[in-house]
Amino acid sequence: MSVLTCDVAVIGAGIIGTATARYLSARGSDVVVIDRSYMGSGSTGRCIGGLRHQFSTAPSIRLMKESIRIFSQMEDEFGHSVEFHQGGYLLLAHDNDMADTFRANIRIQRAEGVNVSLLDPVEIHSLVPELNIHGVVAGAWCPDDGQAFPFAVLKGFRSLIEKAGGRFLLRNPVKEIRRPSHFELILADGTRVEAPQVLLAAGPWTRELALPIGLDLPLAPERHEAMITERMPRFLEPMLVDYRPDGCYFQQMLTGQVIGCYTPVPTVPGIREDISFEFLPQLAWRMTRLVPPLRNAAILRHWAGCYTMTPDGNPILDRTPVDGLFVASGMCGHGFMFGPAMGRHMADFILDGEWGMDFSEFALDRDFSPGAETLK
Amino acid sequence: MERIVICRCEDITEDEVLAAIHNGATTMEELKRVLRVGMGPCQGRTCGPLIRSMLARELGEPVHAIREWSRRPPLKPVPAGTFFRGEES
Repeated sequence: MSVLTCDVAVIGAGIIGTATARYLSARGSDVVVIDRSYMGSGSTGRCIGGLRHQFSTAPSIRLMKESIRIFSQMEDEFGHSVEFHQGGYLLLAHDNDMADTFRANIRIQRAEGVNVSLLDPVEIHSLVPELNIHGVVAGAWCPDDGQAFPFAVLKGFRSLIEKAGGRFLLRNPVKEIRRPSHFELILADGTRVEAPQVLLAAGPWTRELALPIGLDLPLAPERHEAMITERMPRFLEPMLVDYRPDGCYFQQMLTGQVIGCYTPVPTVPGIREDISFEFLPQLAWRMTRLVPPLRNAAILRHWAGCYTMTPDGNPILDRTPVDGLFVASGMCGHGFMFGPAMGRHMADFILDGEWGMDFSEFALDRDFSPGAETLK
Repeated sequence: MERIVICRCEDITEDEVLAAIHNGATTMEELKRVLRVGMGPCQGRTCGPLIRSMLARELGEPVHAIREWSRRPPLKPVPAGTFFRGEES
């Protein structure tokens, strides 16, 4: 049985664990990143890759400003493209209440220095001529929002981590977490990883990993579905987000495919990657209603992945009552975009014991009653 | 050097597939996600068997031991409009 010792063991090689490991190793920490399967095999690799500044609380907006800055520098840092592109996000309101929500958010976003504005239907039409503006009251537009390709980001982080001496143990699930004095992680193949500090960043699997050590984290995975079309010539710059109850969101990737989702009502709880019959007819109808030329777009594929939800819609990023054990999960569908900045802050927190900015809304001991984040 | 295309839809070469395998990929699923092989209009009908045998050869395993990637609906390209024809438009 092989035994590895390190400073910090990270469970989960998705965006959160990998980004944290990248910044830990950049500060000289010896890291081991463990995953039950390959990198990005959980939620990260199933997401559609959108990045937006348009959140409704200052800490989330600040994190996203930092994250998008990191994404924009990745190509130089990694030496390969991560398909980062700032085509903007256009959020659409079909009633006045939602338009008011946009207005309130825009005030907060602008105070944080985000380039965002409220558009009327005429301006929306000139921005996206293919969009059916019937019933559209207003749009929230941030040209600096965008997209990136998750696997290229993970690959880049991995090579930086390995260059700094960090190690990856992939396709090797953690079977047991022991804590005699330091942590001992027992993996499926018998390998034992010993570390004084452990980060749980296993997305939807985080709660079940923490339960045997007496932690019941308020994390609830649920299924979300997505689809992708054939490549088409680029015609759609922004990600469109239709906030109607029967809305949807989609964007055209830099490589030409249109990729999109809708938020299931009611939610489908559990760690599930199966798919539903109603999704494709529903999404095809919803996105075609918004952009009629998409009627002719050939749909190639349909899959599912998990959001890991918290009761108030904000992530959990904190130490836990178990000394040396940290958690970064409950991303509520925003892990990929938050990941780079969150990883940097999480690494500093693990090494320094304090946050570089106000992270109280991500604290484990906060009041979880549904709250401030208005944009799902 | 000869440029051997394995996935015609996404224009991925033999060298790229081999590099990914040598970089640690052990499953078709991972190769698909990382390289986008098999993610174009043919949904892997052309490259799937080629990649399966490459993976078997590189890992030193029989082809039947290599699990195929998941088949995702709708299996062949279907225009969006087809999905809701007769429902609403």
